Amino acid sequence: MEFSIKGMLNPLLALQQAGKRPHTIQFPFEEKKVAERYRGLHFNDIEACIGCGTCSTICQNEAIDMVEIHPGDSESAKPGDSGLRPRVDNGRCCWCALCVEVCPTGSLSLTSHYNYVSEDPDSFLWTPGVSNPEGRKELSFVSDTSHSLLDYARVPMRELEGKERIKSFAEVVLGYADEEAQKEAARCIGCSICTEVCPVHMHIPEYISAIEHGNNEDAIRIIYDNNPIGETCGKVCTRRCEEVCPLGARGEAIAIRWLKRYATEKAENADMIREIVNPEIKPPNGKKVGIIGAGPSGLTVAYYLALRGFDVTIYEAKAKAGGMIMYGIPKYRLPLDSLDKQVEYMQSIGVKIHFNTKVGEQISFSEIEKNHDAVFIGIGYEVPYTIGIDGENLENSIQAVNFLRDINADKHVDIGSRVAVIGGGNVAIDAARVSRRLGAEVTILYRRREEDMPADWEEIEGAKQEGVIIKTQAIPLNVVDDGSGRVKGIRYGNARMVTDEKGGRPRPELIEGDEHVLELDTIIGAIGQEADYSFIPEDLKEKIGFKSGRILTNEWQQTSVPHIFAGGDIVNRTADAISAVADGYKAVKGIEQFVFGK
Amino acid sequence: MSDNIQNLQKSLSERLPQCSVKIRKHGGVELNSSKENLVGVLAHLREHFGYRHLSHISCVDWLEQNQFELVYILWNYESRIQLFVKVRLARENGSGISIRHLWPQADTYEREIAEMYGLPFDGNENPRELILEDWDAMPPMRRDFDTRAYSKEAFYDRPGREDAKDVRSVISGRSGEEIPEIAIPYTRK
Repeated sequence: MEFSIKGMLNPLLALQQAGKRPHTIQFPFEEKKVAERYRGLHFNDIEACIGCGTCSTICQNEAIDMVEIHPGDSESAKPGDSGLRPRVDNGRCCWCALCVEVCPTGSLSLTSHYNYVSEDPDSFLWTPGVSNPEGRKELSFVSDTSHSLLDYARVPMRELEGKERIKSFAEVVLGYADEEAQKEAARCIGCSICTEVCPVHMHIPEYISAIEHGNNEDAIRIIYDNNPIGETCGKVCTRRCEEVCPLGARGEAIAIRWLKRYATEKAENADMIREIVNPEIKPPNGKKVGIIGAGPSGLTVAYYLALRGFDVTIYEAKAKAGGMIMYGIPKYRLPLDSLDKQVEYMQSIGVKIHFNTKVGEQISFSEIEKNHDAVFIGIGYEVPYTIGIDGENLENSIQAVNFLRDINADKHVDIGSRVAVIGGGNVAIDAARVSRRLGAEVTILYRRREEDMPADWEEIEGAKQEGVIIKTQAIPLNVVDDGSGRVKGIRYGNARMVTDEKGGRPRPELIEGDEHVLELDTIIGAIGQEADYSFIPEDLKEKIGFKSGRILTNEWQQTSVPHIFAGGDIVNRTADAISAVADGYKAVKGIEQFVFGK
Repeated sequence: MSDNIQNLQKSLSERLPQCSVKIRKHGGVELNSSKENLVGVLAHLREHFGYRHLSHISCVDWLEQNQFELVYILWNYESRIQLFVKVRLARENGSGISIRHLWPQADTYEREIAEMYGLPFDGNENPRELILEDWDAMPPMRRDFDTRAYSKEAFYDRPGREDAKDVRSVISGRSGEEIPEIAIPYTRK
């Protein structure tokens, strides 16, 4: 065999390729880096998403459906979440990313991922976040609240200055002008998540849309569909709706309350409400319903029953209708003429109100029972709890609900120049702010921390702006006597917060020896109220079920005595106007079913 | 850099007194011209201000004002300052003026705008189709073009989408809310 040196060396020629770029492909395959803010396949943070469906609504290609990830999700979801999640048809998507731009929670994004391979040529449908959990690490086009199609900032509400406010009982909130209201209404995405937490389930996105389009009269009609005191709620509602507004997740919730206030105020008097709402009043059906208490729940029952052809009579102990919204809420929050207008309108459609008629005194409960097919009790919580400390019965130691009632009834109350209010709820804040308007220096003493106060934060802020001093972690010990039976001051002890071993909220514990006396002219107690059921005959009381001072009812507000219905503070635990309206609205259906045996 | 921009604004204002010139918030200079002056202004910018490069021609549909706005984006390689030349035109029966003789690549942008907005250019009549084929509906980039209606008509719903639910109905069904007739026109669609 011939030896060939060439054959030996030739393979070494391959070495000359050593320093060059290889022609082979990197394995495993490395994807090229995409541009910043590249719009690839969707990812949705399933936990952060609340299923508002705005992505689905905006999609111009109709590529997004709202679906249940697991069967039954939409029934079991918590309030504030529809339970649905977006599913994209990738065969229709054009990756314009409008869906990301309008996502209020920011849960929806586009990723840098653009490859999608499937053996099934029809598998275009996929649920972002579920189909690609790994997408979380590949976010590329994400929504940003500073550059967005959504407006996260609320149109500010104009208010009187704090110093100006305490000079009178003029309404603090000045209201939106037309263009302000329309601008604020235009922020709404119309998802309706808010309607579920509203006790009445008002048609919120619809009346906001009507306002946006300048159709205020339609907005009024929509509001009156299930709330006859919409203007009151527009001023003083506790607005749980705003707490779940999707825009509140990363910005400011829609000012739902102020928009309702704006629309309802467009009807300036009772005649105008009548003309705009123009309700259908059914011919008399011969059934009579007696209502005890002209508060929000009683008025609601009366209004909707009267429209349905019932003969309704309200028995009201006081000179004016409204209950707590008349006598409990200060006039700088809810002016008298506003309430009068709403009540006058109800009277115009056939609601009869007997004023100064206290059941148990001017008329007996049995007589009301005898004269009506059904009775509704909505007497509210009007009797104050006492603080339970020594010296509380001294002159000039008064109760907030009585104080507010007297002021609202235009009576003169001498509180002197130094006042302390005991409590941390809205009633305490109301009493404090009213006292400021009467010229007093006011201190609120509250057992816990400011963040524990049950009052609305806006009310707390308002009180501070008006110069109310809030002393937290201060426990009242006893009232100091001046020797002649009058209040001289209050002795209180400072407290530290200790964690509750049972897992409850932290509780205050007195710091020994850290006691002080605050010199005062008047002490106002505001630690809660209860109801006065003394007008109900004893035998009936035994039949009606009570639990911790509240009357037990079924879902139609019916008590265990079939012809007796109840609602408002004496039934529900939330004890606000909107819950009372909700009770009233449910009772209307309950009474109708009961009377007609449905 | 800001000195350069201010100097540019000053000299542009002096040389082109018929145009309003302002410095843009996010960089660059903006110049508003009338339709009559536009070609002269662009030629002047190219010959005397170093704006040799036409980056893009964009169009904005000001539906409410019944106007189209053309935005000519120019680039100066030396000063590296971007210049936006804007001109407002009538939306109905209006037309732009072709600048193909200044920058040949303008042809593509003019074709695109004519096709997508329905705005013709004098001097660039009957341009060839660019992206759309046999399109006889409203030009799709006009703001009053109903994309959703078009998409509904043009595409079928893929099988498997029947389980889609409506958020409003789910919420009202859960709470028992009865939406009255008066409110229905205002419900989100």
